[in-house]
Amino acid sequence: MEIDDLKRDWLNLDFDEQKFELRADQMLDFARAVGETAPRFTDPDDPDFQAPPTFTARFHSRRLLPDEFPRIGLPLDAGKAVMPQHPLRAGTELVGRSHLHEIYEKTGRSGRMIFLVARMELYEGEKLASIVDSRMVIREKPNQ
Amino acid sequence: MTSRRFSDVEFGEDLPPLTPDTSIPNVTTFVKAAGMLNERFTDHEAARKQGLPGAIVPGIMSQAVMASMIHHWAPEAQVEKIDTVFRAPVLVGHPHTVTGVVTDMDDDAHTVEIDLTLENEAGETRVLGTATVRLP
Amino acid sequence: MILDLHAHSVKSDDGRAKVRNYCQWIRKKEIGIDGFVLTEHRQFDRESDYGPLAAEFDLAILKASEVETEYGHVLVFGVREPLTHALDFADIRLPLARVLEESDRHGAIAVPCHPGRTRVGMCAHVEALGVPTGVRILEVLNGGSRGREDQAAQELASAQGWLGIGGSDAHIVSHIGRCATRFPGPIADEGDLVEALRAEEFEAISWKSTT
Repeated sequence: MEIDDLKRDWLNLDFDEQKFELRADQMLDFARAVGETAPRFTDPDDPDFQAPPTFTARFHSRRLLPDEFPRIGLPLDAGKAVMPQHPLRAGTELVGRSHLHEIYEKTGRSGRMIFLVARMELYEGEKLASIVDSRMVIREKPNQ
Repeated sequence: MTSRRFSDVEFGEDLPPLTPDTSIPNVTTFVKAAGMLNERFTDHEAARKQGLPGAIVPGIMSQAVMASMIHHWAPEAQVEKIDTVFRAPVLVGHPHTVTGVVTDMDDDAHTVEIDLTLENEAGETRVLGTATVRLP
Repeated sequence: MILDLHAHSVKSDDGRAKVRNYCQWIRKKEIGIDGFVLTEHRQFDRESDYGPLAAEFDLAILKASEVETEYGHVLVFGVREPLTHALDFADIRLPLARVLEESDRHGAIAVPCHPGRTRVGMCAHVEALGVPTGVRILEVLNGGSRGREDQAAQELASAQGWLGIGGSDAHIVSHIGRCATRFPGPIADEGDLVEALRAEEFEAISWKSTT
């Protein structure tokens, strides 16, 4: 599988759109389980009550990769970056749109690997609320 | 909680380390809240059947613990970016330590860069990351 | 002179450290190294000029590369323009024999790194592919090693009579200088480094708190 072909065919095309709701109970449990103690994350009555900054990392597109993306192996989670754009309040509905943002290859601890970065941009109405980059790594199958 | 302003911060400053609660009940609370219920996170035996050394802490939980450590250090900090690499499994029920250190400061933007690591008892880095954080 | 022979900056796809911050960190934390070598993945960084930073912080900042072969990753020190034409640094399937040969031909020196690491290190491949010829030096201390990885590297080097260097393999600022290499004399540039490696008088050192 040539990396340049994958880049040409799959980069920067939206392949998924999904709606998510920010639920106060989930925001609270998430915050408490990871040790947050600031009232803006742990007290629903706090006037600044909001989701922890990485809360949006829990939102997934319906599929990890575009439907027709070549089946070169099983994508594994290699890391995540979250770029919150503004505080997210309980009850807000977000729309997440996903595209492949980067594709590259390298040899890693597990042999030749193809790295994909799927970027989900989460919008609150027209406003960009958060960006979540999911790095995936696909270990090349033998004889590929 | 003590407020920490940009002017209080020094390059190279260590953030107070945080010991995350990696117990099965707490990880279970997290995975429910994160909508990622899977026995690999909450059941050692089931995780072993999936080829793992035991139940593992979800990567996004480790990431969120790192953000939490930043808030313990600077309660009003706004995380602008947190980028984590999951290098090796973080085992449920094992002691781990999250550390952070200030590695860059932008005087104009009032932001700092923080190196983040999550290590196991053997001192091996399991999760590695960096964060960009805005301070008042 | 002590140099960390293996570090990555933001020029590498997985590097998160700015070179200035490495310098600030070394001085602020009084890390016991006199400089470091930037070994960016699958490329040679021609453009960056670290001269002013080196002068400002009184550190040696040298440039090299980390390429990828069937035996795992390999550091190439002393890279000059002709070598970048002789080898496609971006190719992740370079034959090690060619890397060693072309490096030698072009006044550079190739050193397999983190050999104890699964797949990307040489130890895992020696059984299947045999011990390669032409290797003289191995990275035996790597700041990112886990468990017995460094020990496996040292065992391989010792069994083959190869020499060992150390490098942090830092990708973030605070990991610079975890491992390094001590040389008997001063090293001002990449040419000096190749000479010092060829002189075979150096030792790998580690400041890692754990193995």
